[in-house]
Amino acid sequence: MIYPFKITLKQFVAGQLFALAFLLSVPAWGADDYTDAEKLFALKVKPLLKQKCFSCHNDEDLKGDLVMTSLEDMLLGGESSDEVLIPGDGENSLMYISTTWTLEDYEMPPKEADKLSEEQTWLIRDWITAGSPWPSDEDQAIIAEKYAEGIVVQTSGGLDDDWTNRRYEEKDLWAYQPIADPTPPARSKRAHPVDAFIDDKLYDLGLSPAKLADRRTLIRRATFDLIGLPPTPEEVNDFVRDRSSDDKAFAKVVDRLLDDPRYGEQWGRHWLDVVRYADSAGFANDYERPGAWRYRDYVIRAFNQDKPFDQFIMEQVAGDEWKPDDPEALLATGFLRMGSWEHTSMTVARITRQQYLDDVTDIVGQTFLSHPLQCARCHDHKVDPIPTKDFYRIQSVFATTQFADREIPFQENETITGFDEKEVMEKRLSYFDNIHKTLNAKEAAAVKEWCEKHGIPNKPRAQLAKQGIPDEKLPPRSLGLTSEDIGVRKVGGMVVKRTKFEMNKFEPFAHSVVSGLSPEVPPLSGKMVAMPGDPMSEGEMEMSYIRISGDPFAQGPKVTPGVFSALPDSNDVLEKNDFNSIPETVEGRRLAFAKWLANPKNVLVPRSMVNRVWTYHFSKGIVDTPNNFGAMGGKPSHPELLDYLASRFVESDWSVKDLHRLIMSSNAYRRSTEYKHRDRLAEKDPTAKSYAVFKPRRLSGEEIRDSMLYVSGELNPLVGGLPALPEINMDVALQPRQVMGSFAASYEPAQTPEARNRRSIYAKKVRGLRNPFMEVFNQPSPDESCEFRQSSTVTPQVFSLFNGEDSLHRSIATAIDLLENNKSRKSVVEALFLRAYGRKPARSDRNLALDHWEQMEKRHEGLSFEPREFPREVTRSAVEEMTGASFEFKERLFAFEDYQADPGLADVDAETRALADLCLVVFNSNEFVYVY
Amino acid sequence: MTKKFKQELLQNFKTAKSLNRRDFIYSMGASLGSVALAGMASQKAVASEAAAGPLSVKQPHLPPKAKNCIFLMMEGGPSHIDTFDPKPALHDLHLQRFNRKNEMASAMETGTRYYVESPWDARQVGQGGAWMTEPWKHLAEVADDICFYRGCQAESVNHPTAMYHMNTGNRFGGDPAVGSWVTYGLGSENQDLPGFIVLPELSYPQGGSPNWGNGYLPAHFQGTPLRPKGTPILDLKPPAGITPEHQRENLNLLSCFNHDHLEEHPWQNDLEARMTNYELAFRMQMQVPGILDIDQEDEKTKELYGIGNDDTESFGRKLLLARRLVEKGVRFVQAYTGGWDSHDYIERAHGARIKSIDKPIAGLIKDLKARGMLDDTLIVWCGEFGRSPDNGFRQGGEAYGRDHNAKAMTMWLAGGGVNAGHTIGATDEIGSEAVDVVHPIRDVHVTLLHLLGLDDNRLTYFSGGRFKQLSQFGGKVIPELIA
Repeated sequence: MIYPFKITLKQFVAGQLFALAFLLSVPAWGADDYTDAEKLFALKVKPLLKQKCFSCHNDEDLKGDLVMTSLEDMLLGGESSDEVLIPGDGENSLMYISTTWTLEDYEMPPKEADKLSEEQTWLIRDWITAGSPWPSDEDQAIIAEKYAEGIVVQTSGGLDDDWTNRRYEEKDLWAYQPIADPTPPARSKRAHPVDAFIDDKLYDLGLSPAKLADRRTLIRRATFDLIGLPPTPEEVNDFVRDRSSDDKAFAKVVDRLLDDPRYGEQWGRHWLDVVRYADSAGFANDYERPGAWRYRDYVIRAFNQDKPFDQFIMEQVAGDEWKPDDPEALLATGFLRMGSWEHTSMTVARITRQQYLDDVTDIVGQTFLSHPLQCARCHDHKVDPIPTKDFYRIQSVFATTQFADREIPFQENETITGFDEKEVMEKRLSYFDNIHKTLNAKEAAAVKEWCEKHGIPNKPRAQLAKQGIPDEKLPPRSLGLTSEDIGVRKVGGMVVKRTKFEMNKFEPFAHSVVSGLSPEVPPLSGKMVAMPGDPMSEGEMEMSYIRISGDPFAQGPKVTPGVFSALPDSNDVLEKNDFNSIPETVEGRRLAFAKWLANPKNVLVPRSMVNRVWTYHFSKGIVDTPNNFGAMGGKPSHPELLDYLASRFVESDWSVKDLHRLIMSSNAYRRSTEYKHRDRLAEKDPTAKSYAVFKPRRLSGEEIRDSMLYVSGELNPLVGGLPALPEINMDVALQPRQVMGSFAASYEPAQTPEARNRRSIYAKKVRGLRNPFMEVFNQPSPDESCEFRQSSTVTPQVFSLFNGEDSLHRSIATAIDLLENNKSRKSVVEALFLRAYGRKPARSDRNLALDHWEQMEKRHEGLSFEPREFPREVTRSAVEEMTGASFEFKERLFAFEDYQADPGLADVDAETRALADLCLVVFNSNEFVYVY
Repeated sequence: MTKKFKQELLQNFKTAKSLNRRDFIYSMGASLGSVALAGMASQKAVASEAAAGPLSVKQPHLPPKAKNCIFLMMEGGPSHIDTFDPKPALHDLHLQRFNRKNEMASAMETGTRYYVESPWDARQVGQGGAWMTEPWKHLAEVADDICFYRGCQAESVNHPTAMYHMNTGNRFGGDPAVGSWVTYGLGSENQDLPGFIVLPELSYPQGGSPNWGNGYLPAHFQGTPLRPKGTPILDLKPPAGITPEHQRENLNLLSCFNHDHLEEHPWQNDLEARMTNYELAFRMQMQVPGILDIDQEDEKTKELYGIGNDDTESFGRKLLLARRLVEKGVRFVQAYTGGWDSHDYIERAHGARIKSIDKPIAGLIKDLKARGMLDDTLIVWCGEFGRSPDNGFRQGGEAYGRDHNAKAMTMWLAGGGVNAGHTIGATDEIGSEAVDVVHPIRDVHVTLLHLLGLDDNRLTYFSGGRFKQLSQFGGKVIPELIA
C-alpha cells in the first residue's frame, strides 16, 4: 500500500531530525574507542534488526509506513506512531513495546515463529535507553571484527557474505564438534559407565535414583523393548528364579532377546519409521511397489545379523556401487526410493524429478545426519550452518541416481512363501479382462455394422483419421456402448493394467537404483523400470544447480557434488581431501558420499544413531529431537554420555547389539518407574531429564496387535516375505479408492489364518489405505520421517480396541486356547493373567474375573449370533467423467470364495464367549497396553 | 485503524503500564497478593483447559467474523468458465487450433489444441449482479449472500497434489488440513463429538485420507470421516448382538481393573485420561446415531435441501447433516462431491454435477439464514483448480471438455464476515489466467483463518525444527473478500 502522507510527514519532522542527527553523529575518537552502546548495536541489535525487521521495513517495502534501515528513518516513525524510537527511553519506544507482544495489534515481528526472546527485546530496549547510537557501516565492521562474540563457521559459502560470515552461539554448534571420548566421572569406581554419567548429574541435582525394578517388571520391559512382545510365563519364571546375580541374570535375558529373530522385526520397525517405509507409491495412483518388501526384509536381517552400522549405511546409500554383485547390497538401495513419488501424463517431468531429488536429499540428512536439509532448499539455513549450496551439492550426489527395478533372484535368506495372493489376483485379472474384452467386442460389432452401412473400411478410428477421413464421417466414439458400458470398460481396463503391474511383486524384482545418465523424462509410474542397457550412454548428464527459492525452473549457479561442509574436515572448498571430496563422474558419487557418512571422522552419524537407540530404550532422547541436532533441535541433556556412547559404538565396529548391551546393563535402564518422593523429583527435575526414574510407555499399535495374537497363540512366527494381508476393518477394506480414471481393487485379506496372523511389521502398508487400528494408535504416516512415535489418547482407540473385530477375534481365540489347556476356571484366569500381564492374579482380581465370567455366561446363554458373512462382491458406483452420468459395476472378491475365517461369536458356546468378554477387558486394560 | 486511534491506544497502554508500575511500588503488599491470586487463577484456567481436553474452546487471536466453517469441496476441478465466470469471447474462437509448448505443462496439456466454448449462456443474478450459467437455478436466489472470487491461482495441475494444496497448504501432502488447524486454534464447542468432521463421497478422493489428516498436529485434530454408508464412524457400535447393557458390564470390570492399576501408578497421568476416554466413547456410542439421523428433520426442511429427489438426494443429505453438526457445536465440516473432471461432454457432465448441488447449497444457505446461523458460519465452495478454455484431442477427435488449469478458477464464500454480493478479481478474456486481485492458495487460507478469528502467523506448531503454519511461510489476508 502507498501512503500519500509519507512525504509530508518527512517534511514535518525534518527540522527536529537535523538537530538529533547532529547530536548523534559525534565522531568516534581514535576509530577504536567505541562506547558499550555502540558495541551493543553493532554486535547484537543490528544483526537482530537485519534478521527480524529489515525484510519488511525497508525503503522499498515500507510496511506500516516505517523504514528501519537507518536511524533517521526510524526517528521519522511510521503509520501508527511517531514514537517508534525515543532516544534515551527504551521503555516507551514502540519499537521495544511491540517486540514484547504485550500490546494488542502491535505484535512485532508479526509471526509467532519470529517472535523475539525476552533477552532479545531487552537488547533493543537497552540500546534505545543508552541513546540509540548508530555507528557508520565502517565502524560497525570494525566493532564486529574486534569484539564480536560467537563463532564463524566455515562452509562452502552462503548466497551472500553476511550469511557466510555470520556468527553462531557456541551452544548451537555442539553437534559439529569432534566426538570426545570422555572418561566416565569417577564418583563411584564400580559404577557402570552409563550410570557414572547419569548419576553424576543426579547428585548435582540432589536427587537419588529410584531403586531397581523388580525382575518381573524388568523382563517385561526388556522383552517389549527388544522384541515387541510380552515375555512368556516360562520366561518370566526362569528369570525370577534365576539364582545368579541381578546383573548376570539380566545379561542372560538380554542376550537371549538379542538372538531372537523377532529382535530384527522390532528394531527394524524403528528404522522403517525413520526412512518412511511403505508398500505403495502414494499420490493419484498409489501403485503398489513390487519389490519394496525386499528392502523391508533386508533391514530386519541387518538388525538380526548385527550388521555393522557403517556397512548398513554404505549399503543403503551406495550398495550398487559398493558391492554390485552382492544381492543384499542391491536390495538395500531401496532406501533411496522410499519417499512417495509419482510421474504420470498429468505431472510435469522437471517437477517430479526435482521432487525426487529434494526428497532424497532431505531424507539422507534426517536419517543419518540428524539434520532436516529441506530448510536449506530455498535459502541458506536460517539458524544452522547449512548453506543452500550444500543442499544442492548433496543433491548433486544423487543427480546421477536413476530408478531401476533390478532382477535379483530370490536369496536363500529371503522368505518367498505367501504367494497365495497370486491366485486371487489372477482371478481378478481375468474377471476384469473379460469385461473389458466383451465390451470391446460389443463396440467392434457396432463399428463394423456402421462402417458397412456408411461404406468406410472397418479400421480403428485413429487409423481412419490418419487416412484423412474427416471427423464427422468417422464412426462415433464408443459406438454401441451405453454410458454404463463406457464407464465399466474404462474402469475394467485400468484395473487390468494395474493388477498386471502389481503382480510383479511375485517376481524377483528389487526396488533399487542404478547410477547413470538421466532419461529425458522420468519413468512413468505403473511400469517396471528396466535396467538401462547402458546407463552411461543413454540419456543426458544431469547437471546440478542451485534452484532459486527452491523453484525447479529457476536455475541458479551450477554446483558440483559435495558434503555437509560445516562438519570437521568436510569443507572441500577450503581444503579438498580424500574424506570430503565427491567425484563428478557419473558413477561413484554416492559411494564417496556413503564413505564420508560411514567414516568415524563424521561427527554426526555415530551420535545420531546412538541417540536413536537410546531414545527407543528410554522413550526419551539424550537429544530430544533425533532427526534434528541443529540449533532448533534439542540440546543433549548428557553431552558427555552421548559422546562416550558414540565412541564405544564406533570402537565396537559399529555394533548395535553391543550398544544395547551397554545401555541395558546400566542401572539407569533397570530402574523402577516408581519413586518415593515424587514432589521432590518434580521440583528438582521438572523436565524429567535426570533418569532418576524409568519412564513408562504405551505400546505401539503394532505391539498391541502382535501381543494379542501372541497371547491367543495365533501369531505366525514366520520372518519376512511378501506384504501380509491381515483382516482390517471391513468397511475400510471395501472402501472404494479412486485412482486415475479408475478404482483401486478392494483390500482382500489373506485366505488362511496363518497368512493373516503375521506380525504387524509385515502387513501391507498402503499410503492411501491405512489400517485404521494402527492409525488411531499413532502409527505414523509414511509420508514423513518419524523420529519417535506419539502416544496420544483419542476416542477412536476405544472404538477400535473395544468394539473392533480384531480384538474380538483375538479374545475368542484366547478363550478357546485357555479352555483347551486348563482344567479349572481358576487356572484359566491364572493363565490369562500370566500371559497378558506376566503375573498371577491377586485374589481380588481372580474373584472379579471369575464373577464376571459367570455373570457374562448367564447373559450369553440367552443370546444367539449370526455366523459371519463375507461379501463375494461389491457394487461400485461412479460418475463417468465424460458424460457426468452415474454408472455401477461389480467387483468380485475372490479371496472370500475360499476363506478360512477366525472363529467368531457364532462358532463358540456361551462359556467361551463369556470368557472372551473377560479377555477383551484384559486386552483393553491399562496394565496390558502400558510397559513399566 | 486510523493513526490517531492507534496513537490513543498506545497512550492508554503506556498510562496503564506506568500505573501498574506505580501501584506496584507504592502498595507492594496488596499488589503482590493480587498478582499471586491472578497467577493462581490463570494456573487454574490452564489446569481446567488441560482437564477439559485438547478440544476445549480456545480464545481466537482476533475478533472472529464467523465461528464455524462448512467447506464444500468440488473434487476434480469445476470449470469456472461454465459456472460463475462466463467467457463469451470463446464463442468466436470455438474450435480454432493453436499449439502449446510450455516447460511447465504436463504431457497431457501439450501439442495441438483448440478452444471450446461453453455450452451455456449466462446471466446476471441478484442485486449484486453475479454471473451464473443457465444450469444454476436455486443458487441464483441466494446470490447476494455470496462473495465470488476469481483471482485464486493453484500451483499444480495434478489432482492429488492440487487437492493436498487446497486442503493442507502443502502440495505433497502430510501436513495438517485446514480443518485441523482451525480446531487446533479454536477447539470445539462439543466435547462429545470430533471437532473436525469430513463428509466424503463413498469413494475417497484422489490422495485419500491425508486430505483431512492432522499431519504433525496431535491426533485429536484429525478429520473424522462420517461414512455415507454403513456405520458412520468406524467401530462405533459393538459387534451385532451385543447390547449396551452387556457392554456396560465389560466396562465396569475394565474400570475395576484400571482403578486397581491406577492405585499402583498414581503418577501416571495417561492412565486416567485413558479411563475417561472409555466413558466418553460409551457416551458417543449412544448419542452419535441420533445426531446423524437426519430423518428427525421435518419434511419441509428436507425438501429445502433437495432430499427426496434422486439428483440432489446425496449432496442434500450431506449438507443437512453438516448443518446439524455445526448446530451441535462441531467446529469444521468439510463435504465432498466429486465428478467435476470433465475432459469431455462438459454439457452433460458439468450439467449433472451442477444439478446435484444447486438446490442443496441454496437450501443450506436459506436454512442457516432462517435459523440465524448464517452470520456465525463461513461457507466455502471450491475445487482444487479451474479448467482451461481449450482442450486436446481425445481418441483422435475433438472433445467438448476442458483440461486442468491452475492459473484460473472461481471459488466463493458465504456467511460470517464475507463481502457478500460482490465478485472479486477477474480472469483474462478467455478465462485462461487470473489477472486481477491474484492470490495464491496460501492467501485464501490466511483469509479463511482470519474470518474465523485466527492469525496464521500466530497459529503455529513446532515440528521438524521450526514453527510451522498453514500458509507454510506466511501469507496475506485478501481484504477484498471481507465485508
